[in-house]
Amino acid sequence: MSESSEPGSRSSSGIDPGDKRSYRMALVADGYVNPPPGGLDAIAVLAGAGWGAVQLPDDAYSHQVAGPLLEQVTEQTEEFHRHGYDVVLIGSRTGLGDALAAVGVPPPDRIDPVTAGELQAFLRNRPPPRANLLPD
Amino acid sequence: MSGVAFVGHCLLNQNAKVEGGARCPGIYSPLVDVLRTHGWRIEQLPCPELAFTGLNRFWAVREQYDTAAYRRYCKRIASAVAVAIDVHIREGRHVVLVVSRSVPRWAYAFTSSDPHRGGRPQWPDGSGELAPGEGIFIEELRSELASRGIREPRIMGITHQLPDHDERVERTRLEVFFGN
Repeated sequence: MSESSEPGSRSSSGIDPGDKRSYRMALVADGYVNPPPGGLDAIAVLAGAGWGAVQLPDDAYSHQVAGPLLEQVTEQTEEFHRHGYDVVLIGSRTGLGDALAAVGVPPPDRIDPVTAGELQAFLRNRPPPRANLLPD
Repeated sequence: MSGVAFVGHCLLNQNAKVEGGARCPGIYSPLVDVLRTHGWRIEQLPCPELAFTGLNRFWAVREQYDTAAYRRYCKRIASAVAVAIDVHIREGRHVVLVVSRSVPRWAYAFTSSDPHRGGRPQWPDGSGELAPGEGIFIEELRSELASRGIREPRIMGITHQLPDHDERVERTRLEVFFGN
């Protein structure tokens, strides 16, 4: 991870030095948040890499249940995108692409990892988030 | 599986915090560790203030958020969450809520309160604002659950925002909460 992308590194330019955010977050399919036995636990990998997670609604939910939850994910992702946070997608969720497109958010870079190492490498190779490079 | 824990958004994503409020880069691991150990399913709650007031919001107290528009917004989120909670309860799963003990909009047990705060954001550093009480979103969620006849889940408050936070004590509380 480059120096400019260390958590809280904007503090030198006026951001509260106690703030430890990474400016990096992943939209995570439910199957990677609540993996089946033997499945990849993306939350553990993200925690180790200093990334935040936004859970996508379980595919098992009906449209009536998932729709309003997906709407919330979309609104929040839009806010992170506007501010230059790095947002990636782990797995997939029906309707997410259309929902993001409707608010002008491009499809995030995506991975369907099988192993923790694969996901770690993907996260490690991300460019520094724009939010960390923006002047105050 | 032990049940389903609906956890506050920021406990999995500290990037959602108000600037200066992120206590770790992303995920609050002590909570996830205990949930995994005891086999709980994770469901992340939406953050009511992130989309409503944005990433550049000021630190604020309960009184500043207690507006009709914000309550309507919280009610919309609470409705979505209540429906999801109901799915799990109907399927016979044990449901709990885990939220911050000190975020004015979320808080369980402690909220932030100062009836004189407003206008130009200038006040003495260190001025106390923690006060007993609940946040607006939790009030709206309770109301939504009650109106739908959904049994209210047990709730636990995470203390990592509080000045006297002790991670060892918190882990013990989490073990007791999720282990029983």
